[in-house]
Amino acid sequence: MRILVLAALLLVATSCRSGQPDDRRIVVTFSGSALGAEGELLARHVARFEQANPGIHVRIQRTPDDATQRHQLFVQWLNARAGEPDILQLDVVWTPEFAAAGWLLALDRWKPDRGDFFPSTIAANTWAGSQFAVPWFMDVGMLYWRTDLMRAAPATMDELAANARRARSGGVPYGIVWQSARYEGLVTSFLEFLGAFGGRIVADDGRVVVDSPEGIRALAFMRDLITSGAAPTDILTWHEEESRFAFQNGAAAMMRNWPYAVTLLKQPKDSRVAGKFAVAPMPGAAGGAPTATLGGSALAINAFTAHPDAAWKVVEFLTAPEQMLDRSRLSGYPPRPALYDDPRLAEILPIPITLARSIVERAVPRPATPIYSQLSELLQIDLHRALSGQVPPDRALHDAARAMNALVERTRIRELVAGRGTRDAR
Amino acid sequence: MILKAPRPAPPAARPAMRPDRSEARAGWLLTAPALATILFIALFPLGWTLWESLHEHDLRMPWLGRPFVGVGNYVTILQDARFWQSLGHTALFTVISVAVELTLGLALALAMNQAFRGRGVVRAAVLVPWAIPTVVAALLWRFIFDSQAGIANVVLSNVGLLQHPLVWFVRASTAWVPVILADVWKTTPFVALLLLAGLQSIDQELYEAASTDGASAWWQLTRITIPLLKPAILVALIFRTLDAFRVFDLIYVMTGGGPGTSTEPVALYTFNALLQNLEFGYGAALSVIIFIVTFGLAMLYMRGLGVDLGDSRGGGGPRR
Repeated sequence: MRILVLAALLLVATSCRSGQPDDRRIVVTFSGSALGAEGELLARHVARFEQANPGIHVRIQRTPDDATQRHQLFVQWLNARAGEPDILQLDVVWTPEFAAAGWLLALDRWKPDRGDFFPSTIAANTWAGSQFAVPWFMDVGMLYWRTDLMRAAPATMDELAANARRARSGGVPYGIVWQSARYEGLVTSFLEFLGAFGGRIVADDGRVVVDSPEGIRALAFMRDLITSGAAPTDILTWHEEESRFAFQNGAAAMMRNWPYAVTLLKQPKDSRVAGKFAVAPMPGAAGGAPTATLGGSALAINAFTAHPDAAWKVVEFLTAPEQMLDRSRLSGYPPRPALYDDPRLAEILPIPITLARSIVERAVPRPATPIYSQLSELLQIDLHRALSGQVPPDRALHDAARAMNALVERTRIRELVAGRGTRDAR
Repeated sequence: MILKAPRPAPPAARPAMRPDRSEARAGWLLTAPALATILFIALFPLGWTLWESLHEHDLRMPWLGRPFVGVGNYVTILQDARFWQSLGHTALFTVISVAVELTLGLALALAMNQAFRGRGVVRAAVLVPWAIPTVVAALLWRFIFDSQAGIANVVLSNVGLLQHPLVWFVRASTAWVPVILADVWKTTPFVALLLLAGLQSIDQELYEAASTDGASAWWQLTRITIPLLKPAILVALIFRTLDAFRVFDLIYVMTGGGPGTSTEPVALYTFNALLQNLEFGYGAALSVIIFIVTFGLAMLYMRGLGVDLGDSRGGGGPRR
């Protein structure tokens, strides 16, 4: 009996505490990656923010780290016009989609400092002339190469192919590896080869032009790497981690991957290539330029939020130089050019800062269109067909372009871009 | 069965008791909750899906609205090469895996029907693959056929069947092998148990009589066992065909539909449209088509095999 009374008292006590949050603070919900080291860092930043802004409480809502799952969740919530979460951590390719749907607040009213960010990161988060998200950190594709197997990083795609073949004849199982399973990673890898040869996926007028001669050359080059044995057929089932394992075990001479692998490959305990590798920009080829696919995250504000100003304060704080610098400890690079002159960043980054800057400056966003994910899915299928030898590269890209352009027409995207701003479109 | 409930007991010794209306009404009243539940959980979603399939509705493109397009989605589907391919893949998978499962299942059932020591243990052990969740089984088989670390390549090279380790999942022809093997491994026990139940309902005297008449074992199998097993075979066939036709998780985990889309079944294509791309109208139309095809298949079986499920005692399977 006494226990019951005690329990009842406890219940009352706790419900009082949660029911009447010791103050009348505004509660803003942040939704994004909040696991492990990322979660700890975020919690630290949030605590710092709350200290500086006593009127606002930030609730962290964990969502799956898997991009596809998070995307599905966000779409379902926003489609139902849920006011929470107030702040969304968006993958860099989602911003136009969500903005065109009318699910994000245009940030113009707070006059964000666009000039302080790399232009590529702003372009990726802009739709119909308005900025809808603030870049938080950037990921860029780059080339990992073995310093014990070659004297210098390849400067051209031809050198890359030659180095890969030479390494193979020298007994290394794989010359070069990248991400080639049928998923978004395939498009990010392809974009770097495409840029190297001077091709584009979508032209300025919104038409898909991936089947240009440059595009066909790029895909044929990738296919040749596989058929000549410079790259293993296995990569057709590989994502980031499978490539890293191969490189880490010393089985590959070169690898295309994101920056996260550097720290892991440097651990002598797990890595056979610790101290024997370096990174470089992906090389260019005739007619194009070295290209790094832009990845990373941006912070946006839910259009249905009850507290837009408080939410903006949080976004502004999390993307301020100090916090951004701090976040570079995890992985990814800060999107503010000014930070690259800060000696503290040089200390934090695991690769030379000038190199980091040279790669980051070559970052190219994937097409900033609301139907990017659907376009990408169509492209993935035909890229995979070509790379697995089911159809020749030119036919694959023609098929892809036809299907993608049909989607562009059906969804009337070009009218939407050419026409009015997103507000009127709703 | 439910509709029979309100009917009174057959006229027996006391013919004076005619079923009156209030009794019938009470019967309906008593079954109303069950009927309403069925209506709510089975018919309502079906009707809603049908209605949704007549609209162009893309969750990610609110600016297109949700216009009524009639059979527009169905027309698009019928012109969609990827749909026809996925239908072909589904048919291929269904025919091969069900045929193999039925053959192996029958052999297994005949073996388990013999009297031997430890029969109970064997019967229970056979069910283990069936009890493993499909996703777990799929991961297991994907690992077995992994090009780097998989045991399949090692064994096949040791036996001398393979010169080089094979990358199973990058070619359509080889990608199907692990997929079908995994399905056979997982569901043969289920078929075997269904058939075993059928076998046990066959009157032993028939065999004794046949033996007395000097019939061979083969004659007994083809003239007694298989004809009398027909209801059980039908149940197994229906269950397995419908299951195989809706195959999703196994392929989703093992190949993701690749390479390209060359192992993509209809269910995975629907999943992509509906949940990945959030094209609700188009996806709903695809779902309706799957429903119609599976329904048609079930009807076809009942007709073709000339068995009335309602009267079969041997089947032992749940009735639907």
